[in-house]
Amino acid sequence: MSNNSDKSAPPLLTAHGLTKTHGRTPALRGASVELGAGEILAVTGASGSGKSTLLHCLAGIVRPDEGAVTYGHTRLDQLPEKRLSELRRTDFGVVFQFGQLIPELTALDNVALPLLLAGASRRDAHTRAGEWLERFGVLGQEELRPGEMSGGQAQRVSLARALATGPKIVFADEPTGALDSLAGEQVMSALVHTARESGTAVLLITHDAQVAAYADREVQLHDGAVVPLGVTA
Amino acid sequence: MTPMTPVSPARSKKTVGAMGTMGSDLRIAWLLTRGSHRREWWRVALTAIGAALATAFTLGATVLAAVSGRVYRVPLAAGLLDEPGTRSGVLLGLTLLLVPVLGFLGQCARIGAVHRDRRLAALRLAGATAWQVRRIAALESGLACLVGAAVATALFVPFLLGLTERLPAAVWAGIALVTLAVPLLGALVSALALRRVVASPLGWVRRVRPAARRGPGIAFLVATPALLLAGLLMAPDAFGGYAAAPVTVLVVVILTGMGAVGLTGVTSRITGRLLAARTANPAVLIAAERLRDAPWTAARTHAAVLLVTVVGTGFMGVRHALLADLNRDGPTAADMTYYTTGINLTGAAVLIALAITLSGLAVGAAESLATRRQGLAAQTAAGVPYTVLGRALLLETALPLAPAVLLAGAGGMTIGVWYGVVVGGTDWTVPYAAFPVPAAVYVLCLLAAATSLPLLRRTLRPAELRYV
Repeated sequence: MSNNSDKSAPPLLTAHGLTKTHGRTPALRGASVELGAGEILAVTGASGSGKSTLLHCLAGIVRPDEGAVTYGHTRLDQLPEKRLSELRRTDFGVVFQFGQLIPELTALDNVALPLLLAGASRRDAHTRAGEWLERFGVLGQEELRPGEMSGGQAQRVSLARALATGPKIVFADEPTGALDSLAGEQVMSALVHTARESGTAVLLITHDAQVAAYADREVQLHDGAVVPLGVTA
Repeated sequence: MTPMTPVSPARSKKTVGAMGTMGSDLRIAWLLTRGSHRREWWRVALTAIGAALATAFTLGATVLAAVSGRVYRVPLAAGLLDEPGTRSGVLLGLTLLLVPVLGFLGQCARIGAVHRDRRLAALRLAGATAWQVRRIAALESGLACLVGAAVATALFVPFLLGLTERLPAAVWAGIALVTLAVPLLGALVSALALRRVVASPLGWVRRVRPAARRGPGIAFLVATPALLLAGLLMAPDAFGGYAAAPVTVLVVVILTGMGAVGLTGVTSRITGRLLAARTANPAVLIAAERLRDAPWTAARTHAAVLLVTVVGTGFMGVRHALLADLNRDGPTAADMTYYTTGINLTGAAVLIALAITLSGLAVGAAESLATRRQGLAAQTAAGVPYTVLGRALLLETALPLAPAVLLAGAGGMTIGVWYGVVVGGTDWTVPYAAFPVPAAVYVLCLLAAATSLPLLRRTLRPAELRYV
């Protein structure tokens, strides 16, 4: 598997000693992880091990209770919400299992939305959105709404939307969790191919070993902590 | 562990009759209501409040109808309820107040619909038939309405006894009938609303046919000639004149209200289509696509608002003409109090109707957000700013409502001007006080929609991503 990441370069995103508690339930207990530029990293673990919470902390969606998240030279855990929101719009792309497409918007408008938010003109946003839909093999479905698409089509539209702004990192939380194996493979191939082509780093949350196999590297979470390599959880 | 006793099908058929089935459905309905989700408790509470309001207004109207023709001394509203003639006007007002209450109840029915649908599917999985599921859902609504109706009656009867003790038997029969009829109707309406919904045992509830995106076209086409015919039959010689005033007003109110609803649907679709095809503003794009996707949802939500606008604007015109007429004739102070009390009471009724309608609108906006909360949280996680989603929420109300409120205001103004001309003749003056009514209603509607903005902020918390 090819890897665009430069091992000598400093990591693009670093998390150190993250802890996070939901109510009384600890989700993360001192988790630390690094993501290099252009690297595809899979975070695996059992259900409830804290994978999604780790992704939320790394993407600046939630703040950790303790620990630091550094993107380049910026401490994400110390940024105000407005700046975090801007960062998620420009530098990050997020893909969830489902729910990230606006049901009332067409596929084209869904992909164009982050571009419009970034200040692109309508024509430019639609042209670029069309190009991204073509890259993910869903051209011809521009006028369909999410409810009219198959799960695989909707997820490829979601990937197109996540990558349309040219992010540095794509955070994907169980992107194939709601798909059958064939659609899952198609989605993963499209994501990995496009990420490698554009040099985008991907942080992939999955509990599926086949999906994790697409990654350059894998870290495992167990009870909110990263399990060292070579140790079986 | 308690040993299970097998029941043969023959025995169960014999012993579990219709009443037994109803009893078990009632028990299940009660268990479900008791253990329901927090948001469903909101639906139960608001439905009970709506049922209480409906019961109170219907009880008032029923009592007035039961004593029609009789002369009573009622120590209330400057003697307005003493005369059979003015009493019938109050009766009409109370009946009209049911319109916004029904609109409010309609909005309440939507609260927690997603949770309810999942629950119904789970019931099917547990072995309930589709009909049984519909019956249990209907009983749930009936129970909420029963609570509301019982509370309203418990408050109304002592109030009535405080006014007068000698009432005909028909009044008490009417009170009993209304108290029982409101929960029964609530259950029936719920069953009818679910008539085309089949609870699937495999996890979801779907309609038998895809929801038709039709407006009130057929109803409008049927109602228009029917109302005109009713007007002509009731007052063939003086249709349009003073003698036919109640019918004319009712016809104009209903036609304008329905026209405004139709206009809302049509303008929603056109506005949505036009803006979605042109705008580069994300908030406008989201609002426009939602309008284009479901134009009649906005129309139905705004139906009661538009009716209140027609009535409110018309009332201000009628009030202006009445007061001008009274001042021209120079009545005694006692007469003046009698008339102004009636006018003020009508004004209060319009304000109550407006308040109920705005509550319904706020409930509808909040429920719409609650239903979409996970998707909205995902938008925020993807970097869509709160301000964009907040603006889109307000635009969903503002865009379709503007032309419809304008038309509703014009209809109300027609009533006011017509009444002024009939009463005042050549002395007729322009009812300027009626002009700001549509604008005021519009602004209040936007404020009602804005009450859900704090909920939007809570909905957009990324923690919502954890709950599917």
